[in-house]
Amino acid sequence: MALEIPKVSYSGKIREIVLGKGDKAITVGGGTSYPFYLFEGQMPLKPRIAMEVYDSPPDDWAPTALEPFADVAGDPVAWAKKCIDTYGAEMIALQLVSTDPNGENRSAEEAAALTKKVAEAVDVPLIVWGCNNAEKDTEVLKKIAEDCAGRSLMIGPVTEANYKQVGAVAIGYEHTVIASTPIDINLAKQLNILLGNLGVPDGRILIDPTTGALGYGLEYGYSVMERIRMAALTQEDERLQFPMVCNLGKEVWKTKEAKQSRDEAPKLGDPAKRGVLMEAITAQLVLAAGADILIMRHPESIALIQDMLNDLLAA
Amino acid sequence: MSKIICSAAIRGAHNIVDKAEQKYQEALDKWGPDHAVGFPNTAYYLPIIYGILGVPVSKLGDVRPVLEKCRSLLPPLVSEKVWLPYLAPTLEAGMATFFAEEIIEAIRYLEYPDFYTKQEDPIGGNIWLGAADDIILRKRGVEFVDGTAPGFAAILGAPPTKEIAAEIAKELQEKNLYVFMCAENNGVRMSEQLVEAGVQIGWPTRLVSFGSDYTATVFAMGFATRAAMSFGGIKPGDFRGNLLYNKNRIFAFAMPLGPVSDEWYANAAGAINWGFPVIADTPIPEILPTGICTYEHVVSNVPHSEIVQRAVEVRGLKVTVSKIDIPVSYGPAFEGERIRKDDLYLECGGGKTKAVELTVSRDMDEVEDGHVEMIGPDLDQIKDGSKLPFAMLIEVAGRQRQEDFEPILERQIHHLVNYAEGIMHIGQRAIMWLRVGKAAVEKGFRLKHLGTIMHAKYHQEFGAICDKVQVKIYTEEAKVDEVLALARKIYAARDKRVDRMTDETEETFYSCTLCQSFAPSHVCIITPERTGMCGAYNWLDGKASYEINPTGPNQPIVKGECIDPVLGKWKGTDEFIFKASRQKFQTASAYSLVHDPMTACGCFECIATILPLCNGVMIVNRDYLGMTPCGMKFTTLAGMVGGGEVTPGFLGVSKHYIASRKFLLAEGGLKRVVWMPQMLKKELEAKLKSRGEELGIPNLFDIIADDTKGATEEEILPFLEEVGHPALTMESIL
Amino acid sequence: MALSGIEIFKKLPKKNCGECGVPTCLAFAMKLATGQAELVACPYVSDDVRAAIDEASAPPIRTLTIGAGDRAVKLGGETVMFRHEKRLENPPGLALVLSDTMDDSVVNEKLSKFKYLEFERVGLILRPQMLALKEESGDAGKFAAFVKRVIDQMDAAIILMSDRPEVISEALKVSKDKKPLIYAATNDTAEAMGSLAKESACPLAVKGSGLDEVMAITDKLLGMGLKDLVIDSQPVNVKKALEDQVVIRRSALVKKVKQLGFSTITFPGQLTDNKMKETLIASLLIAKYAGVIVLSEMEGHNVFPLLLASLNIYTDPQRPMAVEEKVYEIGGPREDSPVLITSNFSLTYFIVSGEVESSRIPAWLLIKDTEGLSVLTAWAAGKFAADTVAVFIKKCGIADRVKHRKLVIPGYLAGMSGELEEELPDWQILVGPREAAHLSAYLKQWSA
Ligand code: SF4
Ligand code: SF4
Repeated sequence: MALEIPKVSYSGKIREIVLGKGDKAITVGGGTSYPFYLFEGQMPLKPRIAMEVYDSPPDDWAPTALEPFADVAGDPVAWAKKCIDTYGAEMIALQLVSTDPNGENRSAEEAAALTKKVAEAVDVPLIVWGCNNAEKDTEVLKKIAEDCAGRSLMIGPVTEANYKQVGAVAIGYEHTVIASTPIDINLAKQLNILLGNLGVPDGRILIDPTTGALGYGLEYGYSVMERIRMAALTQEDERLQFPMVCNLGKEVWKTKEAKQSRDEAPKLGDPAKRGVLMEAITAQLVLAAGADILIMRHPESIALIQDMLNDLLAA
Repeated sequence: MSKIICSAAIRGAHNIVDKAEQKYQEALDKWGPDHAVGFPNTAYYLPIIYGILGVPVSKLGDVRPVLEKCRSLLPPLVSEKVWLPYLAPTLEAGMATFFAEEIIEAIRYLEYPDFYTKQEDPIGGNIWLGAADDIILRKRGVEFVDGTAPGFAAILGAPPTKEIAAEIAKELQEKNLYVFMCAENNGVRMSEQLVEAGVQIGWPTRLVSFGSDYTATVFAMGFATRAAMSFGGIKPGDFRGNLLYNKNRIFAFAMPLGPVSDEWYANAAGAINWGFPVIADTPIPEILPTGICTYEHVVSNVPHSEIVQRAVEVRGLKVTVSKIDIPVSYGPAFEGERIRKDDLYLECGGGKTKAVELTVSRDMDEVEDGHVEMIGPDLDQIKDGSKLPFAMLIEVAGRQRQEDFEPILERQIHHLVNYAEGIMHIGQRAIMWLRVGKAAVEKGFRLKHLGTIMHAKYHQEFGAICDKVQVKIYTEEAKVDEVLALARKIYAARDKRVDRMTDETEETFYSCTLCQSFAPSHVCIITPERTGMCGAYNWLDGKASYEINPTGPNQPIVKGECIDPVLGKWKGTDEFIFKASRQKFQTASAYSLVHDPMTACGCFECIATILPLCNGVMIVNRDYLGMTPCGMKFTTLAGMVGGGEVTPGFLGVSKHYIASRKFLLAEGGLKRVVWMPQMLKKELEAKLKSRGEELGIPNLFDIIADDTKGATEEEILPFLEEVGHPALTMESIL
Repeated sequence: MALSGIEIFKKLPKKNCGECGVPTCLAFAMKLATGQAELVACPYVSDDVRAAIDEASAPPIRTLTIGAGDRAVKLGGETVMFRHEKRLENPPGLALVLSDTMDDSVVNEKLSKFKYLEFERVGLILRPQMLALKEESGDAGKFAAFVKRVIDQMDAAIILMSDRPEVISEALKVSKDKKPLIYAATNDTAEAMGSLAKESACPLAVKGSGLDEVMAITDKLLGMGLKDLVIDSQPVNVKKALEDQVVIRRSALVKKVKQLGFSTITFPGQLTDNKMKETLIASLLIAKYAGVIVLSEMEGHNVFPLLLASLNIYTDPQRPMAVEEKVYEIGGPREDSPVLITSNFSLTYFIVSGEVESSRIPAWLLIKDTEGLSVLTAWAAGKFAADTVAVFIKKCGIADRVKHRKLVIPGYLAGMSGELEEELPDWQILVGPREAAHLSAYLKQWSA
């Protein structure tokens, strides 16, 4: 009995976007089928993982998550280098949490100076992520874009509230924008239209659909990502044909269960393995929904995902 | 185009090209063709020539072909006798002018390397900055893209006094515009006037002293041309793309101050190519009809006190108000606060005094933007605990006058006023009610500030439809009566207009896909006679929302050919539904519950469904918690038909739609309705009764059963039979 | 294509007698159409009609139950490829492998851990439900004894794993009342296994290498009149495993290939020796359609995340999950700790409680029943209105637990603060931030 596989006919393709510059530049996107459905389409460029680096020493991390970086936690440049040299990071994501006005409220100048230092120290593509306060991010990302002119950073989150200001500097100083919308396919599309109207070239837009952690609303982002991919690939929705970024590491590791010790949660098994698995599973699921770039924390969960990617994309 | 302008511009262009040729010849003789030539620190060569012609001029020898091009563009001088359609040749003369001027300025850099400061600020006594280098271009260009600087004024010459110069500069700065200055008026230059008046000039203050000659106009135009290339992705040589980018995005205009020479005319003609209009203070001929520029091309003889405002209007620049200047806090957090009796300082309306608020649209010249006037006593002139009559008349004007939006703008008054701390606002129109608390008055709040709020917020939130806003607030009885009378007339006219609008008279419907966030394939089609199912969006809302946010969830749908007038199907709506449902649904009826009904999202005000035994339709509203004759409560029904699915026999409807003439047209309309909760019936009583009259069933309202008659089909059927409900004898609904 | 409610209704008796449990035939028809009722509930439908409706409304993937009692696992009944299209119906059963060659002590230890792994979340109990009992001893009697011992010790849905019909036959004698899943019929054993399944009325798994072989076997079994089947396509690697799952689901849904209209059983442990990776493969299989996932080990650190994954993916996207209406204590609040109120949409609850927790400021979090709607939607639907909030505040007893009278409401509902103050004259209403992310900063400056 021979089965004829009912194939989906895809009419669209995810745009290929070049990240970074020079030898270590990376291209993502290019998919012509649902993620890993290689029996009916291509996924010529593998999804990539950016390792997190924080701009200030973490204070409430799970011991497992901190351990690999304990020696570099206060020094973002050393941290970034360790990610690359020791853990083979193919990208770095600098998380500018200390710029949060409700927290340390570091100035745009400081953030820009730091970003520049990190950018000069690494040759892999660099993502720079603000503190999710649209007003402050505008100020910070503008300054960074200016001071790191021509370095082809990926800057975000760019939202409806600040897309003009950040979009403008991204055009002027040649960076890629991460267009961030709150788990809604139509808003995602609208922001991409607006960025296009502003003049941001299509080759420099990435979508951040907003990612929740496993057990903490993961399913919302998951479905929106599936819908975005479906629209992009089968419904010729040209303004959704951009690669997607999931900033998941910090979401997972801030959950209670990722942090609890064995004493606090005896039923939850080995805390070290639990945290790693929670991060890796979140990553695996968003990959299945269409993620092209993952921002992750733990070297072990990253290694696991790399292993899975190799299996899923094996020739 | 005016013959005088054309002749002069063409003459001027000839002069300028002649001069460029002469300069070029001299330079060639002196340095030879291989000598480098260009503006400092730029990758755009001579930017206008590069941007428009795609020719990179980097050495003197490269200039020759450009000059030849100038010659070929130049039309012959206009003879006194012939009458020609002058626009095209004049614009070409303007282009030639700019190419020639770039050559002249480039050679100046060769001849006098230190003529310009080549940086952002004056150096010592040298105030001429010259061409912006690429660093300045990027830094400043960003402001043009993100809107912090919407554009620039290219000023030639100078006003009569340094005081007027300072005033004009300040006004332009306040509009966030860059001021690019060059050329002289009788030996006087505006840049120099500003320095004399003690005004700081340079890029940082946005008062850019480009050069002393009129030829420095090209620095302004070159800046615009490069902005299009570096920010708009426009390729060198794509002159159409470049000019359009500038017309659509850079809000710039030329402002010749002083007698306009032939050369100035030539420059003005050039600027018009970029869509930049000319606003002059001298009585030169006007060119009003629009064509290349968004609105008028040349407006003249404008007094200095009005020139900035006029320029802004002519270029179609939107006013931005970033701060609401009132002495109390303002924000959504204060929306719901109540002012209690003990805290009350002033009360207006709410049945205690006469009160009314009205937003009307006027012509552009009838409204003075930002004008707020208080007529009658304000809070500092009355005692604590007073009551006053009150009227707020808001007059708005837009380039496109849109009376349709009056009610939408007016409805915003409620929450916009409520955002102010210590102010409470309830109701609308002539039933409004305003309370001002003591604390607000102590902080310095006055009624006049209501005008400040409305002016600022209308600009901020409705900038797309309001260009000018003025507000008058009355607390004198006689004046309030006048506004009331006006309001009543306008309300009546508005209601009539909405009433007259039908699905047949309008060619465009609107969509709403706001609910797709949780109902992926849901699409509401909003027509004049069918509001969105949540009741929150009617056709006008859809239209306004689209104008304000053209990429948002409300999109226009040209309804196209009618496929079925009874079901309510059109070619255009079907096509739209197919796309917007992401190919899940091919068609939907606007007026049917059985045949291809619309998708239901979940936030419908009411659900209509069939009652097979009674051969009719029942409607239940969200607030009714009891059992209904279909055997399901509202919540059960909602659980079964939501999610963006089509469920034949079930339809989400707004209350407003129930009384529409198009309500379930395919099933026989309102006559089919056999049951509604009493509360819903009561709410719609007046409308249902008048619809009954229209349908020739004057007792229709009374023969629709409700929960007092029963909550099962079996219970209500005898009642329907007794009253002879028309549904019983209509054709089978299934 | 499934029938619409109205089409089903037309075929019903129209008696409105209510015997089916809902008041009218129309309501019943709607339930049928949305898969919330079974036709047998109406005693009055004729056989013809029953056949017609059954035929038309039978889900393309067979619904079946493995096991009996508390931990019975329902599988199948799926109608979509993507959860947003409607919902995924039945989450996969997670099974732990036990072998009849394991030491008793090892088995006991594993069983007690299996029992211990039970987690409460949003009012649901999450736990693994299945045990896959594997014959490796070659001894039918020993296996049967092993099965019996496990069944006596542990209430779980059982999978009997052996390629030999005689072994299965023996084991069924002690276990068939528990409706175990028989694993598996192969090309060679299809008839024998099929008969065993038929006699014992137990579901049967089909094992073939590749889908073509699987289809040949299921076709044979269908011919024998068997209906409750489960598929194992024996993929050789992760990539193939994903492909098979997708192809099976799609063939059943889109092409109505009846030989593939069944749930699947999967063994991520066959694809790797790394336990961590095995868990990851399992998570992918949860998202991509597996019916049963057999794991080689179960520890809190791998089972809990997998259960979460399953909960997330199988949540009905159109019916938000809700948490219980009550006063939640976060971080041991005292009588001077802040009091906050929000909706009972589970995501809202998780995010808000998470932010409060990470602020390290103890607080009382009042969760009001809004039928799972988020704050703004609930407000728009009248489920977070001042009057009902006031009733809740009064009856929840918070007034006895704090000394102050300050209530923080969500920033988006600032509009109801005045009304609420009128309803709750003793309380001062404070407007909190609009976004949960700003709660921490807000709480830090809060004082009683
Ligand atoms: S129900 Fe209302 S909000 Fe939702 S799509 Fe329709 S009109 Fe828009
Ligand atoms: S039991 Fe049958 S006849 Fe009676 S109401 Fe239910 S569906 Fe109708």
